Amino acid sequence: MINRLHVDLAGIELASPLVLASGVMGLSASSLERVAELGAGAVTAKSCGLEERKGHPCPAILPFGFGLLNAVGLANPGVDEMVAELRAFRLLSDVPVIASIFGKTVEEFPEVAARIAEARPAMIEVNVSCPNVAGEFGQPFSSDPALVGEITRLVRARVSDIPISIKLSLQCLSLAQIAKACADNGADAITAINSVGPGMIIDPNVRRPVLANRMGGLSGPAILPLAVRAVWEIAAAVSLPIIGTGGVETAEDVVQMVLAGATAVGVGTAVYTRGLEVFSTINSDLHVFMQERGITSLSDLKGAAHV
Amino acid sequence: MSEYMQTYQVKRVLTHNEGLKSFRFDRVIEAAPGQFVLVWLPGADEKPFALSGVFDHEIEITVKAVGPFTKQFMNVKAGDWVGLRGPFGNGFQPIEGMVLVGGGIGNAPLRYLAQCLREEKLLFRWVIGVKTAEDLAFRDELASMPEVTIVSEDSSIGKKGRAVDVLAAMNDHEPIIVLAASGPEPMLLAVHGFANTFSPDIPVQLSFERYMKCAVGICGQCCLDGTGLRVCVEGPVLSGHQLQGVTEWGRPHRGPSGRRPTQKQAVHHD
Repeated sequence: MINRLHVDLAGIELASPLVLASGVMGLSASSLERVAELGAGAVTAKSCGLEERKGHPCPAILPFGFGLLNAVGLANPGVDEMVAELRAFRLLSDVPVIASIFGKTVEEFPEVAARIAEARPAMIEVNVSCPNVAGEFGQPFSSDPALVGEITRLVRARVSDIPISIKLSLQCLSLAQIAKACADNGADAITAINSVGPGMIIDPNVRRPVLANRMGGLSGPAILPLAVRAVWEIAAAVSLPIIGTGGVETAEDVVQMVLAGATAVGVGTAVYTRGLEVFSTINSDLHVFMQERGITSLSDLKGAAHV
Repeated sequence: MSEYMQTYQVKRVLTHNEGLKSFRFDRVIEAAPGQFVLVWLPGADEKPFALSGVFDHEIEITVKAVGPFTKQFMNVKAGDWVGLRGPFGNGFQPIEGMVLVGGGIGNAPLRYLAQCLREEKLLFRWVIGVKTAEDLAFRDELASMPEVTIVSEDSSIGKKGRAVDVLAAMNDHEPIIVLAASGPEPMLLAVHGFANTFSPDIPVQLSFERYMKCAVGICGQCCLDGTGLRVCVEGPVLSGHQLQGVTEWGRPHRGPSGRRPTQKQAVHHD
């Protein structure tokens, strides 16, 4: 029987286009394996940096009517701890695992990439776009094509044998320009988009923002149209495979992303809005959607909305 | 009642002692015993607490001053605004013949469970273990409950000993149908161990605690090694069957960064 859901993402074979997005159940081998078992085609670990970070105090993750607002603040156990978890995951599961890294400075990115490469992840996602640490690290790197290009070039130079995907933000003047900077400097893929904003929720009684960090990135169904548009723009600008991420909850959402130009599709906040069964539900709904229309491969739909 | 943040005024404060208080709110949330709410103290932090009681018009949490957050919470007065959201997770299932086993502040959710058992007219027994008499909340109320046996480690109240020590004699007196426990993890494991000495095992419902950021199954902080079960969604009350395969029992919990401290560094996160 053919697997209609099979995709090739920068040379990595995925049994489903669904990729667990970074920041969701991504701290441990056991939680990643649980998601892999439930039908994710690949799983992405939590972003890690050189050193352990406690991140922001709570409230750090706030559900609201249309998704989540989060300001976790790049909390992570440090790259060495993450190498151990990724190695443990690879012993447990054959599902491709994507490591996610960030740096406080441009120079830190290749350092973290070289260290995480020791765990031999299927791909390294380079998170240049976390919106929650702007006060500390300045604007997200992803708003500047020169910086994104430089980070991509440095990481590529240090890690030649593992595909790298650059995770981008909406927060920039031209996604097309940023995407070209990725392509020109050796990226293998682009993940788009990170959470949007930042946004803020204020409590009317205590008259202060609820998030301890005051503001945080928006995710979930509220941002799906923004993410679809971003994928569209990137696909029009470069030929790199895209992991379309942002607000995806259903098979129809996945199809939208693929029609906009995505090769694979990230699923994150839907673990909250739809539960962990979201992976198996989308897989089976997507299979039916394709079967009913005689579509044998998602690659036939890729970018098809560009008319 | 929802997972969205909403602030409410504290209606009244019950002071058991200066480091152990209960806080009552209007009945804004419906929750099962053992389920928890996230409590936001504006300007401080947000932490999970199981309800210690639900009354006609009020709900209640009971807080013991342990870490910076809970120490600051001792200053909260009637009229102060506090954020509540929930309830989250799975709680206890009240069953006839249940024996409740609580250690220290872990007795707080068992008080609500005992309330439910009484309301449903189900027979139960409740062993309360504390380090010392000071740690006991609701002393007068408990004194009037024939179901309750109190033990303390320093014999300042009840017999000297730990809650688990009492179980064998209790079972000899009348077989235990199911065990519901809440308290420090070593106590929970001891209860589980006791239940496993029988054939077939005595079923257990154990309430676990982990550091958590979201309570909605996203952040991964409370996922248990070995199974990936989320204490905030599948827990906090887990059955003996769900405990199988978990490899991190009794080890220090992951902290805010996600790193698991070594035994020496292990600290309270509340």
